[in-house]
Amino acid sequence: MTTEASAADFLQAAKVVEIQGLKLELVVKGQGAPLLLLHGMDGVEGCARIIDLLARDFTVYAPSHPGFGASELPRAFSTIDDLAYFYLDLLDHFDLQNVTVVGFSLGGWIAAEILVKDASRVSRLVLGAPLGLRTAERRKSQVTDLFTLDPKEVDATLQVTPASKSNLAALPEAVLERIARNAEAVTLFGWSPYLYNPKLHLRLHRIKAPTVLLWGEDDRLAPLDYANSFVAKLKQARLETLPGCGHRIYVDSPDAAAARIVSFRSAQ
Amino acid sequence: MKVWQFSEQAYHPAFDVPGSMRVTLPSRHCDPAVASTLLNRYLDEYMLADELGYNIMVNEHHAAATCMSTSCMTTLAILARQTRNARLLALGIPIANRSNPIRVAEEIAMVDVLSGGRLEVGMVKGAAYEVFMSNRQPARFNERFWEAHELIVEALRNTGDNFSWDSESYQYRAISLWPRPLQQPTPPIWMTSSSAFSSIEHAKYDYTCATFLSGAVARSVFDGYRKAYLEAHGRPAPDKRLAYLGVVAVAADRKTAYERAEHMKGYFTTAARLDAQFRNPPGFNPVKANVKMMQAGPNAVRPRLRNGAPLPSDATIDQYIDAGLMFVGTPEEVFRQLEQFYSDVGGFGNLLMMGQAGTLSHEDTVDNLTLFAKQVMPRLEELSMDAPEVRYEAFA
Repeated sequence: MTTEASAADFLQAAKVVEIQGLKLELVVKGQGAPLLLLHGMDGVEGCARIIDLLARDFTVYAPSHPGFGASELPRAFSTIDDLAYFYLDLLDHFDLQNVTVVGFSLGGWIAAEILVKDASRVSRLVLGAPLGLRTAERRKSQVTDLFTLDPKEVDATLQVTPASKSNLAALPEAVLERIARNAEAVTLFGWSPYLYNPKLHLRLHRIKAPTVLLWGEDDRLAPLDYANSFVAKLKQARLETLPGCGHRIYVDSPDAAAARIVSFRSAQ
Repeated sequence: MKVWQFSEQAYHPAFDVPGSMRVTLPSRHCDPAVASTLLNRYLDEYMLADELGYNIMVNEHHAAATCMSTSCMTTLAILARQTRNARLLALGIPIANRSNPIRVAEEIAMVDVLSGGRLEVGMVKGAAYEVFMSNRQPARFNERFWEAHELIVEALRNTGDNFSWDSESYQYRAISLWPRPLQQPTPPIWMTSSSAFSSIEHAKYDYTCATFLSGAVARSVFDGYRKAYLEAHGRPAPDKRLAYLGVVAVAADRKTAYERAEHMKGYFTTAARLDAQFRNPPGFNPVKANVKMMQAGPNAVRPRLRNGAPLPSDATIDQYIDAGLMFVGTPEEVFRQLEQFYSDVGGFGNLLMMGQAGTLSHEDTVDNLTLFAKQVMPRLEELSMDAPEVRYEAFA
């Protein structure tokens, strides 16, 4: 899922639902046990391929986070906590039970923040290269700062798969608006502290659900070292690495990742 | 027409260092002894400007070789004591980048008192890349700007009891300015604008609206301001509420003036040296503006020549003159250029004059300032305050 045309097709299936007064863009796809898929920094359209794969075994609920895509951003929202509480409302809204929560990158951070608060509707957790734990300490930084990165380096830092070169000016206005909203929302939620919550490490032990931590072996944004800080705090987590895969697991290894998620569910 | 001398107080020896002049330029390229000489020299030039009848404008930037003034109010605290007559304009204080607006109000009040009430205060959003140094949240920047503005004004004008404050970004238990400002209710307030839209709020508040090096865009900024001003106040906006910033190189002969202009051009060529990722952090500008920028490409924000073409990045002095960014020549030529520009944009009452820029030497700056003060400044009187009501009847 790299071309704009297929992203547009994918978004055709999105609908708008209102939850606690917030108009949310939501893709619901497939049949089977419920799976909440929380996208990364490039919006739900970036996860289109893996959503299609997971929809063979699950009923996938894939929202655009508030502020991303076509989802509203309430003025009062300013932290990942706000998104986590909102998603607890979403689980209540659809009265979902035994949910598999899957989050990639920024979405992995949101997933962790949901589960430390209330895991009563969740049976399994899959974190794909999550953020949210301390990304830097004094002068040493563990996670590459996307905000100061040469724009030409961004895609190569995030994925192994060569990115399709698109001429921004030629894209439809609606697509540009999504790009601009996604970037603004990442800034709002991740500017400083850079993509982490300094309190999360005190709370991760509350996650009791069986957890799989997926990590690309060639992740240049958050290298494998960073995964270890999650492993250290999540006692039930199993780390599974993906060869030839960068930070955008859903771009580089959607098939392998989907297979791991399906087998994780079947195994228990 | 009031004329304000302005220099960015560049550390110009670093202009030879390859790459960006802002944000990423390592400070090891700064020799503090050289910085000391240069900063003192620029202050001397401001003192000369005071003697010559100019008013004074200072600005601030951070992590930049192009501007060593990292605090408007620090620079003005010195000039408050070392000048006698000049109005002292901070243009401006990037209030949404400051973590403590009450500290800003305190500095304003202190310098106003020190200067005997000569302070004028610009509250500015500042350049987008400054958030990389302040590290304040780029998203909702505009909202935070107005929130800080409201608090600073409330603090400056308070003559009642001390008060507490609680808003989204700022909370204080006890606000009490000692000293409080000499000019009541506040020193004159300025803001900057580069579009007709952004000048509307400034007009409503009756603040002076300045536009920097914007050439023909100044026309739409000033028109937008005048329209909004008339609607808000029921009278035409006076020229003194409008200001234009341009570079001035004057000399007894044309050749010398152009040589000076070449040195001052260094301001434009170095100010633009900034890596792409710092130019427009996501969230700093509204989504709609960012969409427009993506559609229009990088040329959209370049000033225009009179024929509508974008000013080239390696523009000649004549092209800078044509675009209304520089005024260069003999006193007569510079006056004519200013007169033409004044008429093109519908009039303004303040010329913010970069009388020093780039690598222009102290000797050339002294001559530039002196010649302009003696042979151009008096003639500018003819331009301003000419009861412009007639032109704006259409808005009534």
